[in-house]
Amino acid sequence: MKEQLKIGWFEKNTKWLLLLPTIFILLALTIYPLIYSVIAMLHTVNIRTGERTFVGPGNFIRMAKDPFFWNALKNTAIYTCSAVSVEFVIGLSLAMFLTTKITGRNVFRSLILAPMMLPPIVVALIFKIIYIPDFGIINWFLALFGIKGIIWEASADTALISLILVDVWEWTPFMFLILLAGLQAIPLDPYEAAEVDGATGFQIFRDITFPMLRPAVLIALLLRIMDTLRIFDQIFIMTGGGPANATETMSIYIYRHGFRFTNIGYATAMSFIMLIITIVISNLFIKRLKIEEVF
Amino acid sequence: MLKSFFKYFFMVIITMFVFFPIVWLVSTSFKNPVDMFAVPPIFVPANPSFDHYATLFFEAGIVKYILNSVIVAVSTTLLSLVAGTLAAYSLARFRLPYRMNERLSFWVLSTRMFPPIVTIIPLFAMMRFFHLLNTRMGLVIAYTAFNLPFVVWMMRGFFMEIPEELEEAAMVDGDSRMSAFRRIILPIAKPGLVATSIFTLILSWNEFLFALILSQTRSAATLPIGVASTVTQYEIKWGEMSAAGVIAVVRVLIFAFVVQKHLVRGMSFGAIKG
Repeated sequence: MKEQLKIGWFEKNTKWLLLLPTIFILLALTIYPLIYSVIAMLHTVNIRTGERTFVGPGNFIRMAKDPFFWNALKNTAIYTCSAVSVEFVIGLSLAMFLTTKITGRNVFRSLILAPMMLPPIVVALIFKIIYIPDFGIINWFLALFGIKGIIWEASADTALISLILVDVWEWTPFMFLILLAGLQAIPLDPYEAAEVDGATGFQIFRDITFPMLRPAVLIALLLRIMDTLRIFDQIFIMTGGGPANATETMSIYIYRHGFRFTNIGYATAMSFIMLIITIVISNLFIKRLKIEEVF
Repeated sequence: MLKSFFKYFFMVIITMFVFFPIVWLVSTSFKNPVDMFAVPPIFVPANPSFDHYATLFFEAGIVKYILNSVIVAVSTTLLSLVAGTLAAYSLARFRLPYRMNERLSFWVLSTRMFPPIVTIIPLFAMMRFFHLLNTRMGLVIAYTAFNLPFVVWMMRGFFMEIPEELEEAAMVDGDSRMSAFRRIILPIAKPGLVATSIFTLILSWNEFLFALILSQTRSAATLPIGVASTVTQYEIKWGEMSAAGVIAVVRVLIFAFVVQKHLVRGMSFGAIKG
């Protein structure tokens, strides 16, 4: 708009001024923590006194030798892989099953949103009540079929599985909804063409549905994996990482070191590793998404 | 015919799976100690007891937690909505140099990928430095930071769907860019604003980790902290715990039903047309 001669400074810089608050807040709360972490992870810091001793790579060497760190990493991996894959399989089957319009589907869709809207800590409370070994509703129900009481989250053998089941209950609806939205976004023409050509149901799924659903699948998996990698609330309330560290995930272990033992240096070093893992995994997905031109 | 019967059957079963735990929580919160552990379990207590709620309100001081939660959630929503909407408008409408539109949007989104446990330690140090620990203000700032990426992406999506001709027409009629934005665009984007703000309300209402670390005293502790405090190390007060859970849930569920139409879309960051 070169004709407008009287453009004030404000008008000329509107685009930047509008961005300013957001950029400022995000810089202060992401870039600053990053710098802080990089410095802190090379030291041992006492958060109460603020004392710092330079240890170089000491925290990372300690990590490599720390069996509890590897245990936390392993638990996080098991939790993420099992929870996300179970949610994906159930979510996809449900979405495929309910793609065609039938009356009441929209009501159903809004009903099953409930679990993921609940505060995660309330979800944890609910399952603490349901899982009570002696009087809990699940064990009572299982007893009807002659299955002996399970100690669920209070026993080291079953604790992790119990927590994964909670995650499945909470987040399968989310998988279902994203995949359903993805299925509905697929145009009908290729299906009609395939039907004319006499394709079988499996061929249609393999050659039409799945390729076109890919972006939705990638997004659903990406979001769920990011969420499960950082899982904290439910575990903190239900088991606190126990019994015998059976449910100690990365977030819980970092929390323990950072705020219970005040090993700030060690905790930031571990969180740095966690950040790198997160970035690597999310980049794998984002690259694929960029190839498929979703972003 | 048979097929749709199966579908309904399935939908009913799944709805039961989804709702049974929630119903059980509500039912437990109204049970007296005898009913609570009765075998076989009692689903609807014959004489519902309000004792647990009474304890929470009159002895445990849950009102203070609720108040903190409301103040924090509302302030966070206002702050992140104002900042985020402006940024989203800039990203959606102006052409920034160096392909900054895509790059900035992407950077904003990527801050969301930070696991909270990674940011919380530096954030704790920062809040202590500014004397913002155990204040509602500190929580609001932290929550705003983690809600902003979401607001920016949602609103950017909504703005990009509004045809640009609308502002151009207004500007030909003598509006400035910003008054066109205020007069024409904001009213059109209202459904988006409503949906986004309800999301940020829910997110801030439910958040636990930041609250746990940044607000340990009752002066700022939010409802999730209050609920968690019913699970102490030595004993679990089942009744109070479930009643506190119900209190924390009611509001969220109401909100969720209001925005369920926009929900999938919002949660997938507007990447899929829901």
